Amino acid sequence: MKPVIETRQLGRFYGEGDTLVRALHQVDLQIEPGEFTAIVGPSGSGKSTLLQLMGGLDNPDEGTVLLKEKAISEMSGRELSDFRRDHIGFIFQAYNLIPVLSAAENCEYIMLLQGIPAAERKARVYAMLEQVGLKGKEQRLPNQLSGGQQQRVAVARAMVSRPDIILADEPTANLDSQTGMDLLDMMHELNRQQGMTFVFSTHDPKIMERASRLIHIEDGRVIGEQRRDEG
Amino acid sequence: MNLIFKLALRNIARNKRRTALTVLLISMTLALLIFSDGYMKAMSDVMIRSATRLYPGDAQIHQVGYRAEYDAELPVNSPDALLEKLQSHPLVQSYTVRTMDFGMVSSTANNLSVQVVGIRAESEAQVSKLKQSIVAGRYLSDDDAETQILIGTRLAEELEAKPGDRLVVSLNNYETQEIEQRLFRVTGIFKMNSKFFDEGLVFIQLPLAQQMLGLGSAIHEIAFNFQQETLSGDKSLAIWRELSIANNLAEGWKTLMPELASMIGMFDYSMFIVGGILFVVAILGVVNAMFMSIYERTYEFGVILAIGTRRLTIFKLIMTEGLMLCLVSLVIGAVIGTVAVLWVAHMGIDYGDMDFSGVALAEVLRPELRWQQFTELPFAVFLMTMLASVYPAIHAARIVPAKALHRSL
Ligand SMILES: Nc1ncnc2c1ncn2[C@@H]1O[C@H](COP(=O)(O)OP(=O)(O)OP(=O)(O)O)[C@@H](O)[C@H]1O
Ligand SMILES: [Mg+2]
Repeated sequence: MKPVIETRQLGRFYGEGDTLVRALHQVDLQIEPGEFTAIVGPSGSGKSTLLQLMGGLDNPDEGTVLLKEKAISEMSGRELSDFRRDHIGFIFQAYNLIPVLSAAENCEYIMLLQGIPAAERKARVYAMLEQVGLKGKEQRLPNQLSGGQQQRVAVARAMVSRPDIILADEPTANLDSQTGMDLLDMMHELNRQQGMTFVFSTHDPKIMERASRLIHIEDGRVIGEQRRDEG
Repeated sequence: MNLIFKLALRNIARNKRRTALTVLLISMTLALLIFSDGYMKAMSDVMIRSATRLYPGDAQIHQVGYRAEYDAELPVNSPDALLEKLQSHPLVQSYTVRTMDFGMVSSTANNLSVQVVGIRAESEAQVSKLKQSIVAGRYLSDDDAETQILIGTRLAEELEAKPGDRLVVSLNNYETQEIEQRLFRVTGIFKMNSKFFDEGLVFIQLPLAQQMLGLGSAIHEIAFNFQQETLSGDKSLAIWRELSIANNLAEGWKTLMPELASMIGMFDYSMFIVGGILFVVAILGVVNAMFMSIYERTYEFGVILAIGTRRLTIFKLIMTEGLMLCLVSLVIGAVIGTVAVLWVAHMGIDYGDMDFSGVALAEVLRPELRWQQFTELPFAVFLMTMLASVYPAIHAARIVPAKALHRSL
């Protein structure tokens, strides 16, 4: 199968001279459709940097990122923006939601940008919010939801526009461990049921256990990889 | 796009205090502009009216060259034809004729040089405020003796004369080239609040003046008022050409009183400066408020850019927020401005006897409302606000999602 995202000799540096930090160095990765991949490593190892480059949020200093076999560097700003809108879902550690929009409106947002008709938007949003266990809370504003619920809305928003892949940077880091596990289970469920490709970062061993593929990074380099068959 | 409107509206409602302050800033700018304009307009109107309608009239006709030396031997040519035109002209409200020459006025106490003006009592009262300016005695009357004279308060003091007192007026007779002397009785004393008028002018009946000057039925000046005094400042009107015939020259107050015209020009200039200062202050305030609201939302913009919002959409969002603030402010500003103008107009500003470069304001000043205050001024404020929004909007649109997301984590 064609990889959804591929990185070749990817590098990202910060600073210069003596203070040069190699946040990412010579990273070669391929993410296949349907994967449930965890990027793990200690703090400062480059997990966020990698996810941001993979999602085209930042430009590499070395190497290339291919999104569905197309090099990011060849896309115009608008193309890249539209590519993210249509093919990539993002979930961040916290404050994913637009504070002035309700849960349903937040989910609707990307579809509005895509120009999907209102009736379809509504149907998809309500179904999705029900799937993430937020039925009845559609009209709540983000600040009327708990942290875990907010992250579920973020997952729903990422899912509902039907991207090819969802990139999640420590989606559970701001949640207590049980809530974090629940969220991850839910993501895993969506991965199994709907075949959605997930790449998420974490440094929580319990969370790592759920992944079907583990990519270990340290000091900006990939130092090992594990694959696990699912039972 | 409906989404942008919804987001903009809710974002504005988010920080109510900041929104209120921004709206206050923009609306006060407009209100101040409206008020300043209304005040300046009233000020210049009152000044023009005070200056022209007090005595000279909105416009005057003389023979070409007369005004250079006030040569009494240069009277208005074919005055009857001109008076006929004035009589039927739709823009003209009233007119009168005058003779003028320098002469001496003597009392038992003093002997002074003055300008002796021959007037037609009735038509003069239609053009100037001479009649209303009488503070003692009476105005001239055609039913009384020929030898009536009006003098100013200052002159009365210097001559130690009061109504009923005798004065001798001496004028040069251009026919006989001899000094013509007549005995007059002070009919009334006028006060125009102007040193020049109150000290330097005396008024007598026209026929007697013509007789003393030996000029037959000649006149030196036709003074007239327009239906609206503002018209006299309009040099493009056809009436100037229509009346400048037979080697005569019809001129409005702008040419007759160039000092006043340049003074009123200064009003426009100072309005421009006041407006400019207001604009700079308001622009800085708006830019600052917009930037604060953008800085607070940097992470949020990072997220919505990450999930596929185009930069142009963010630009439009900020511009829409600016637009909404602006429109609300314009309405509020127009209301505050109108109320301020109407309220002060109702109260009136009385400058009393204070004079502005020789012109005493003859009326209570009442700020005026006019169309420009609700078209040009709001439009200028609108442009200003949009201009002030562009920079923050560009800044927001150029946020780098990776940086924005990094910063707040
Ligand atoms: N904008 C930046 N400027 C300078 N250095 C940066 C910047 N962003 C990241 N870095 C550096 O790059 C390295 C990788 O950072 P990154 O945020 O990717 O790590 P991480 O694995 O996500 O860490 P954490 O688990 O704490 O989130 C770190 O050493 C960090 O200090
Ligand atoms: Mg990180």
